[in-house]
Amino acid sequence: MTRQPPPDILQGTLDLLILRTLQAEPMHGWAISERIQQISQDVLHVNQGSLYPALHRLEHRGWIEAEWGVSELGRRAKFYRLTASGRRQLAVAASEWERMTTAIGRVMKMA
Amino acid sequence: MNLRDFRLRVRALIAPRRVERELDEELAFHIERETQKLVATGLNLKDARARARVRFGSASLAAEECRDARGTAFIDTSVRDVLYALRSFRRTPTVALAIVGTVALGLGLVGAAFTIFNHMVFRVDAVRDPGALFAVERPRSGSSNRVRFTLPQYEALRRENDVFSDAFARLVDIDSRIDGRMMAGELVTGNFFEVLGVTAALGRTLTPADDVRQGGRQVIVLSHKGWSRLFANAPDIVGRSVIVSGFRYEIVGVMPERFRGLGLTPPDYWAPLSLLGQVRPIHAGREDSVAIDVIGRLKPGLSRKTALAGLAVWASGGGSVPSANERTANITLEPKRTVMPLSPEVLLAFAPLFFVFGLILMIGCANVANLLLARAVSRQREIGIRLSLGASRRRVIRQLLTESLLLALASAVCGFAIARVVLAATAYVFTRTMPPELAEMLSVTAPGTDWRVAVFLVAVALISTVLFGLMPALQATRLDLVRTVRGELTRDARPSRTRNALIVVQVTASALLLICAGIFLRSAMRSSTVDPGVRTADTVMVDIVNEPFRAAMVAAVTAEPSVRAVAASWPDLLGQPRAAFASTFAEATADKATAPKAASGSSADNSGTSNVAYRFVSPEYFSVLDIAVLKGRAFLEEESSSNAAVAVVSETVARQIWPNSDAVGQVLRLEPDPNSESVHGDPELARRALLERLTSIDPNMGMVLTLRTLGRLETYPLQVAFWLTVVLGGLALILTLSGIFSVLSYLVEQRRKERRSHRARRDDGGRRATRVIAIVACSRGGPCRRRRPGLGPRHVVDVGPRPRRGSATLSTSSTRWPTR
Repeated sequence: MTRQPPPDILQGTLDLLILRTLQAEPMHGWAISERIQQISQDVLHVNQGSLYPALHRLEHRGWIEAEWGVSELGRRAKFYRLTASGRRQLAVAASEWERMTTAIGRVMKMA
Repeated sequence: MNLRDFRLRVRALIAPRRVERELDEELAFHIERETQKLVATGLNLKDARARARVRFGSASLAAEECRDARGTAFIDTSVRDVLYALRSFRRTPTVALAIVGTVALGLGLVGAAFTIFNHMVFRVDAVRDPGALFAVERPRSGSSNRVRFTLPQYEALRRENDVFSDAFARLVDIDSRIDGRMMAGELVTGNFFEVLGVTAALGRTLTPADDVRQGGRQVIVLSHKGWSRLFANAPDIVGRSVIVSGFRYEIVGVMPERFRGLGLTPPDYWAPLSLLGQVRPIHAGREDSVAIDVIGRLKPGLSRKTALAGLAVWASGGGSVPSANERTANITLEPKRTVMPLSPEVLLAFAPLFFVFGLILMIGCANVANLLLARAVSRQREIGIRLSLGASRRRVIRQLLTESLLLALASAVCGFAIARVVLAATAYVFTRTMPPELAEMLSVTAPGTDWRVAVFLVAVALISTVLFGLMPALQATRLDLVRTVRGELTRDARPSRTRNALIVVQVTASALLLICAGIFLRSAMRSSTVDPGVRTADTVMVDIVNEPFRAAMVAAVTAEPSVRAVAASWPDLLGQPRAAFASTFAEATADKATAPKAASGSSADNSGTSNVAYRFVSPEYFSVLDIAVLKGRAFLEEESSSNAAVAVVSETVARQIWPNSDAVGQVLRLEPDPNSESVHGDPELARRALLERLTSIDPNMGMVLTLRTLGRLETYPLQVAFWLTVVLGGLALILTLSGIFSVLSYLVEQRRKERRSHRARRDDGGRRATRVIAIVACSRGGPCRRRRPGLGPRHVVDVGPRPRRGSATLSTSSTRWPTR
């Protein structure tokens, strides 16, 4: 009955993308989704309905932390920042991702 | 869970509003920012906002998932479930009260039984390392009797064995009158308190120096119970002296209240075992052959098995071990950690008690189940609406279980109180109905409770309510949604078959209890009317324990105006003629016992000789107790002073030993040593008069009992059993009837409502019914803004805890009626 939005990013990859995006600087939710969209050249659209739950989940796991700040337009916004353990997690997840994509790429090319 | 996660969760629990506001703000900011971006591309504000909203999707769904990420959903839901359950109790308080009351009653009874069980089996005495304490016993093969140790054997055991770090011996149940009141004492070796590792609350404990043979000090240590019972907790008790059996004893200490002397209740005092001859003059001079109990403390790290092996070696090698004619099995070690070990036998002994009380609990639970089943029908609508709004079946069952859980806790608390009341009332009734002579010696107090009882009660309450609450819950949620929301009750949800089965069980159980009550009543009546063969109506028994005062006592009894005749016997009428003592007579000993019991206690031996119980009596004995002599003659007056070899046997013994010949003319030894006197007169009056007269001669004299009391002692347990089952059976019946009644009245009420609404619908084509719903909707739902017929039921019925997932469905419909 519940209307599930179709997943447009692979489950689990969203966490990695968020962590990677936050590596440079603290950002609020909208900026994160914008940045992902821009850098992926409009290929990846972050579903807003899953972005915020993901952010809250990551916050609970201690990989990012939130802080209220003032946005570029002068309004109060919640900024997320990578924590030390988030950085470690990013390194682990990124190398794992690397391994997976090269493996898949190899199969796609050679098989 | 890391620290940060914990902090966030706590924050969400402590300041839920603030967290919610922040979430709203965060999501609103996103939409705002998106709108601005769209405006910057040239869209007008209104369109931009609409498109931003569409892009975002359902804000409430996102918020919902953020909340889930918080991890407080479980607590949130539980709190909401509890609140909802409380609200539903308030709506139907009688149902809630009936459930709690019924279950609590059964729980209280089971709890009372468990308190007693706990008292005996689980409670540990306040001594050092009670797990290492074991009683050394030698069970006699093929009999429940055991061969007890004697003092020299104990000393040998203590000296020679290498399994006990130390052991003590004791002689329990020494009843004697101290300063005119009966006191229960225990004679112990000097190391008793040392081995147990307890210290006195006041003064000091007994020491080995107090217990030197031939030179024991005349000192006693009081238990807390004895101190408060006999000396009203007088603070200056230490140093005072009391007279025990004519000797002056100094009170040297009082033990703490927690110390129970390894028994159910502590004795009143402890005295050195070396003073046995003084306390029990009858044992004077032959202390070495008196049977005593031996309890030892195992060496650290030694298991019971190893210890048993060690003791077996000792028993087979030592010269001080029992002679061959005592048919002893191996030595056994009985754990003394608790009053009774948790063994299958003990469980079996308690099983009837738990069964009977459990039956009451079961009947109560069946009542509750019935009521809940009946209610489930009326709650179908409510549950149906919740289900159709998107609540999962699991969620609804969880909610119903929360209700059961709350009821269980309330019942457990009430049950605890009821258990206390039941125990206190039982103790009171016992004290009041006990024969006064017994009440003098026994003090019945309600056993205390501890955490085990509380845990037990909560556990049983949980099991019973979940068990009996789950069934109706499952039945209630198995619904045909469409029909239920339409108001039609599904036929198969009418749980009449289950209900009938429950009622059958209840009636059977109450009938069972009442039949038991009938059986006990018959036994009690029969044993109270049966002719014991002796004159009990107007006979009093005086127990003479102290030999020095015998002559004076007998003279006083004879001088008492209310006394018509005096007779003597040994052992006294209360004590059964001891078979063990009788067996030391190798040849056929004849029975002079009068009570049928004594005769029936005799048994034929394989070797051709017979062991019979016997009693020494004076010539007047037969006439005083109105015992008819069937054959031959009674004793003559001159036979009491000479060593005449004469005896009178009971009819039963005569038949057993000499089935074909005349019994008159058999062997018997007589040692005129009367210890008990019997007198005629108004028994209770004479008893008091005698007590007064005799205590002035010997303040430490034994019991004075009327024979009627003696008779009552036999029927008393049966009477207790009878009243217990009558009360329980009555309770069961009342519970069953009230259960049937409540269910029926509930159903009748239900039917009436149904019929009324049917009639209403028939009368004006269903319009009135619709109107009723609409009006209720307005009065409950506040200002009647959204008056759409379809929304009616949502306001009429309390939807209850907002179903989590269900709210997503609601929010899709909110696009049609924007809430903001």
